[in-house]
Amino acid sequence: MTDGILRAEDLAKDFKEHSVAEFFRKNKQMLGLVGKIRTFTTIIHEFVTNSLDACEEAGILPDIEIQIKELGNEYYEIAVKDNGPGLTRETVGKAFGQLLAGTKFHRLIQMRGQQGIGAAGIVMLSQITTGKTSQIITGTGKGNPISLEITIDPKLNQPKITNLKELNTKFRGTAIKARFKELKYIRSDQAPLEYLRRTAIANPHAKITITEPTGEKITFERSIKSLPKKPIQMKPHPKGITVDELVTLAKATDSRKTNSFLRNDFDRMGDKAVREIQENISFDLNKDPKQMGWDEAEEIVKAFRKINFIAPRTDGLRPIGEDRIRKSLETIITPEFMSVITRKPTVYSGGFPFQIEAAVAYGGKAGKMSESPKKKDDDDEAIVKKVELMRFANLSPLLFDGGGCATTKAVQSVDWKRYGIKDMDNAPITVFLNMISVHIPYTSAGKQAIADEEEIMEELRLALMECGRKTGRYIAGKKKEQEKMMKRQMFFKYIPEVAFALGKITKTDEESLKKRLQKIVLDKLKLEEKEEEDKRRSTEFKAGKEAAIRKLEEGSEDEISPEEEEEPEEEVSD
Amino acid sequence: MARKTAESKGKAPVRKRAMKETAKEKEDPKVIAKKIENMAKEIVADIKKGNEPTFHTQMRGRGNVKFNEEQGLLELGDKMTSRNFLNIGHARRYMQTMLVSAKAHDYLKERKTASIREIYYELKHTLGETKENTFEDQTESDSCIVDLEHSIDSIREKLNLHANPKGTLYGDITLRDKVHNNDTFNCAKLGRGGWSVMSRIEPEEIEMKDCNAKYVLVIETAAMYERLVEEGFAKKNKAILVGTGGQAARGSRRLIHRLHVEKKLPVYVFTDGDPYGWYIYSVVKQGSMALAAHSGLLAVPDAKYIGMTLEDVEDYGLQNVTERMKDGDIKRAKEMMAYPWFQNKPWQKELKKALQQKIRIEQQALANKSLDFVATKYLPEKIKKQDFLP
Repeated sequence: MTDGILRAEDLAKDFKEHSVAEFFRKNKQMLGLVGKIRTFTTIIHEFVTNSLDACEEAGILPDIEIQIKELGNEYYEIAVKDNGPGLTRETVGKAFGQLLAGTKFHRLIQMRGQQGIGAAGIVMLSQITTGKTSQIITGTGKGNPISLEITIDPKLNQPKITNLKELNTKFRGTAIKARFKELKYIRSDQAPLEYLRRTAIANPHAKITITEPTGEKITFERSIKSLPKKPIQMKPHPKGITVDELVTLAKATDSRKTNSFLRNDFDRMGDKAVREIQENISFDLNKDPKQMGWDEAEEIVKAFRKINFIAPRTDGLRPIGEDRIRKSLETIITPEFMSVITRKPTVYSGGFPFQIEAAVAYGGKAGKMSESPKKKDDDDEAIVKKVELMRFANLSPLLFDGGGCATTKAVQSVDWKRYGIKDMDNAPITVFLNMISVHIPYTSAGKQAIADEEEIMEELRLALMECGRKTGRYIAGKKKEQEKMMKRQMFFKYIPEVAFALGKITKTDEESLKKRLQKIVLDKLKLEEKEEEDKRRSTEFKAGKEAAIRKLEEGSEDEISPEEEEEPEEEVSD
Repeated sequence: MARKTAESKGKAPVRKRAMKETAKEKEDPKVIAKKIENMAKEIVADIKKGNEPTFHTQMRGRGNVKFNEEQGLLELGDKMTSRNFLNIGHARRYMQTMLVSAKAHDYLKERKTASIREIYYELKHTLGETKENTFEDQTESDSCIVDLEHSIDSIREKLNLHANPKGTLYGDITLRDKVHNNDTFNCAKLGRGGWSVMSRIEPEEIEMKDCNAKYVLVIETAAMYERLVEEGFAKKNKAILVGTGGQAARGSRRLIHRLHVEKKLPVYVFTDGDPYGWYIYSVVKQGSMALAAHSGLLAVPDAKYIGMTLEDVEDYGLQNVTERMKDGDIKRAKEMMAYPWFQNKPWQKELKKALQQKIRIEQQALANKSLDFVATKYLPEKIKKQDFLP
């Protein structure tokens, strides 16, 4: 390029030719393709998410197999196979060979992996790091499966399919095999295996198997045999909309007038609200929404802010559910004890419905292994447990940027000591937190940390505190039980000596003294137990009363109760 | 040289009663064994009723130690403490105390004596299938012995237990060892070493027979004791010498006590003129904090302090052989000024003087005059003039 004037045509041409590849390189960070380990996890994430979505869409219990082979230094082959509905000759190209072709944009629906660059992005990554094609085998169950190799034409953003063959076998599902360079497979908190473990926890209906480069095969079994309910698409709530989104929605609507567009395409928008909007703007709402300009959209959004809307509907949210979380934790973590809660849905920033799910699992495989800092002690227990936080947004594990995440802050803000968990940091505890929303407020483009909005923090805290209370009670009970056992053992250990000594001095039968002493000890321990139980009951009764009072106070602050929610402000018919 | 008499130094508080031999002193092994049996029987009765087994003993420590002005003794108050087997904090100690009681009872019945180290080894064994021992070290069994002595209100010597012997006796007194062939010997005829004071010298074992002496001289250092023996001091002055070799052990204290009570001999204590020496005197005289319960069997409230004093330094011109007090000595001296039994003019004056001049004086500094000075001049003169601190 010369120092002369840049010609718009050249720029446009340049932009088009390089668009996709350029988009890739420039946005690697945003796309989660940074770092050798994180990139690996992102690849697995994209494939697995695709598979899970496809299976659920088709009503199939997902069965996903991942196989990783090390081909050379930082050079791997990744194969992912599912039992989903499969793709046809027509759809396979679009699914794997066209970037940004997904259906996930501009839909207000709770989805996994909002961030998705999609499977096509991964095909692209393979192509730009190795120059190789990706191999796909897919079958719908009807007719023979097909086998093909695919690359993406970066200029056209179009799939390039080669070696298309029909196979003479039976197969339903999709299998992809692709190669990548500049990756590293390890086991760590942020690596693929942990990602899959957490995915399995959030998706108890899926069976996930991974074969690591070493040949070790790890299976996360399905712990529940029913599919989750499908989330439903929700109309946007006026308080949660941006000018840009309004313009996009206006262009896509079927309504012919702006007022009916508002009524039909928005949540909680009645005639009264539309009248109020009209009073607050400078143009006529009878206008065709497709003609809506930026300034006009801005006026409407401003008007939205002034009007009191009922909080958005929350019935479209689909949490995992307490039972399902419980089952999957039982299968994967096998804790001694767990407390699970799915909070009622609520709203943040006035316009976004969300829901928090929390679980605290104690004992078993809960907590993460960590090397003991005091290794030089002769203790053979060089491994110690530390608390583990599993973060999820819409069922997708969040593995990165944990420090800035609302979930981490919430866990830190809870006074665990109050629940008898003295050293939370070093407790064999796994904390599970899932935020469900049509719109997760991420702190950054990396989409790995949830912003600490006030309402979100409050819900996280309430959920954690309830789980903490229950877990603490369990731990305290267990400790008591242990103490009791130890006490009994200690007394029983000394009784023979005492009986012997007293028997000798007083010439009393040693055996009968022994038996009597044992009985005295057991009676005493029983009495202590009863006293403790009474004490616990009375404190719990007190705590219960306090909680009831708190609830009453909370209730009065709440603007909507679930019953009211079902009824829109005014019925509108078109 | 100006000499002052005891009178001119102010009067020490006068006690109404002199120390007499008490019933407690005469308790023999049968009585003690009975005491242990009664203690155990009470516990067994409780167990049979389904009550928690307890064990009562006198409370020890500062909180229950009092200075009895009238008798001039440190004694234990009447506070009791009880150990409950069902208290996790007490259980192990309870078990140990029972074992020690049973073993001491055995010794008494079988007429055997044992050192406190021997009883520890006799009772030490592993508990059942555990890795725990009945006693892990001797301090544990020692504590139980103390508990037991305080429970039956007697001394360990009467439980047929003894610690390491320490101290020597020299002088014209005849003793009879009832336990050992009834050996009868005069303690002025055992050579220069004298009689090695045993840890247990209870009357049923060691009988005090003829005694031809006017007083008992308790000497802190072994070297001074040897000097006085060599100078023939005992014979010339009709004295019985007891060398304690530092702080007086229980056996020496019991011996001094018995000489005072049974043979009516006055007791003079001769130590270095420093806090350590004063404390030796204090223990011989009124008993110790740790053994406050047994002062009645060990202490001699009428004992007198012969020296060294700071007045001796002036009177005998010993200024050039004094030594500087160390920080610890100064601290200790300050504490001692507050002791109730030093609350009299002569002692306050002595301690104040020591603190002002920050000096101490050893017994052997008297050798500065001549080796025999202490035997021919210092002691005879002081005793003659009754120049004592109370």
